[in-house]
Amino acid sequence: MVFFLTALPIFAGADSQWFLQQGTLTYHVSHPLHQTEGVSHAAKGKGVCHAGQCDFLIAVPVKSFDSGDSNRDLHMLQVTRGAEFPLITVRTRLPESAASSATINADLEIQFAGQTAEYKQVLLKVEMQGGDTHITGTIPATLSDFKIDPPSLLTMPIKNEIPVRVDLTWRSQ
Amino acid sequence: MLRNSRRNQLWALLRLLLMCLLVQFPASLITQAETGVRSTVSDESGKAVANAAVTATSIETGGKRTVTTGQDGTYKMDVPAGNYRLSFEAAGFKMSELFSATVSGTLPEVLDSKLEQGEQVNGKPTPKQQENLPNAPSSSTTAPSLSDLGLSPDQTQGNAREQALLDKRTHMLKIHQRMGLITTIPLIVTVATSLNAGGKNTGSASRDLHAALGGLTGDLYGITAYYAIRAPRVPGTKKRGPIKFHEAMAWIHGPGMILTPILGIMAFDQRNNGEKVHGIASAHAPVAIVTAGAFGAALLSVSLKF
Repeated sequence: MVFFLTALPIFAGADSQWFLQQGTLTYHVSHPLHQTEGVSHAAKGKGVCHAGQCDFLIAVPVKSFDSGDSNRDLHMLQVTRGAEFPLITVRTRLPESAASSATINADLEIQFAGQTAEYKQVLLKVEMQGGDTHITGTIPATLSDFKIDPPSLLTMPIKNEIPVRVDLTWRSQ
Repeated sequence: MLRNSRRNQLWALLRLLLMCLLVQFPASLITQAETGVRSTVSDESGKAVANAAVTATSIETGGKRTVTTGQDGTYKMDVPAGNYRLSFEAAGFKMSELFSATVSGTLPEVLDSKLEQGEQVNGKPTPKQQENLPNAPSSSTTAPSLSDLGLSPDQTQGNAREQALLDKRTHMLKIHQRMGLITTIPLIVTVATSLNAGGKNTGSASRDLHAALGGLTGDLYGITAYYAIRAPRVPGTKKRGPIKFHEAMAWIHGPGMILTPILGIMAFDQRNNGEKVHGIASAHAPVAIVTAGAFGAALLSVSLKF
């Protein structure tokens, strides 16, 4: 699963754009017999700043997540309806002045598995690395937020909580 | 001798009946059993909408069926189990669509729908559903849209047929998993009863029991294998992870499950004739152990993380 993104560095008031240079998203699934993670490096994102506000959009193909087990990945694709709704999209809006501190609290609107969920005040860490802005954080996603039936193994279902770690590098142009 | 033959016939008949039951039970989950959808169509205030046209389009076959709601806004539609797209149309209302509804084949599905007032706009989903479409445009004039991200059409367009294929695959593999777990029970008991089935001084009752349990194991194994073999493959998927080992084990326990009962029958006949088990029939036990071991390894490979 996926999520994310946001925030920004301070702008001088003129319109500007942000492009996602590199993004890694990792979901974590818990089962009594297994702990599993699936990773995607296929996120694409863009931010547009205008009149003091910046709108961001990030999209990640559901199929791009790799847990190391093709059978599990196909099952994930089926249970999240990834063939019908192939993208996870994240939208957020932040004021241009939001990111002068080391952390940001972002409100995210996420579309996944044909559902829309909102996450308020998600804590993100911001680091400046040369000309890039590096953002990390964890989205507290759950299966029930997106009306996904929990898959089971040996009649035991996985946990509802599926936190997603995000690691994104943005560049302004 | 005659008693043994009659007993064996009874066992065979019992196994046949049991197999029919077991094949019918899981198979009924995916057969074309007539079931249906029942629903109430109402407006935003909750008032029933009469004479609304409800159309169910099968995602698998493209077939359509249309019914009309009654004066109380209700309708019932008998359709085979499967995945459907439902649309709701009525004069004075916007068309509403439910892009994916699964009819399970056990109980009728209840899918109530609310229609919004307005002119009919053919083919357009409701605003909330449109937001859920992968290529829905942003509502803001400055916000980026999906077309800005350089994603390919393959990455943005949904594919209902592919989803139906995945649904069928998962459904069949779930049955495969459950039948595999059920099969381990008689398998373990069969191996346990083998200790008393051979030897010089054992009676025929122990051998009969072992043979019957072995037969039951074989039947359940056959059903388990059926659902794995017949589950749809997803084109373009490269196998990775424990599933490779799981499938490789099938090349051992598959032929083993055929050879074991053949050798077992030969050994059974030899013992019933008062002979010591000899020749190729003496391979029954080692072949059975290897088969059981491969089956157990296959099961563990997809259950535990190594």
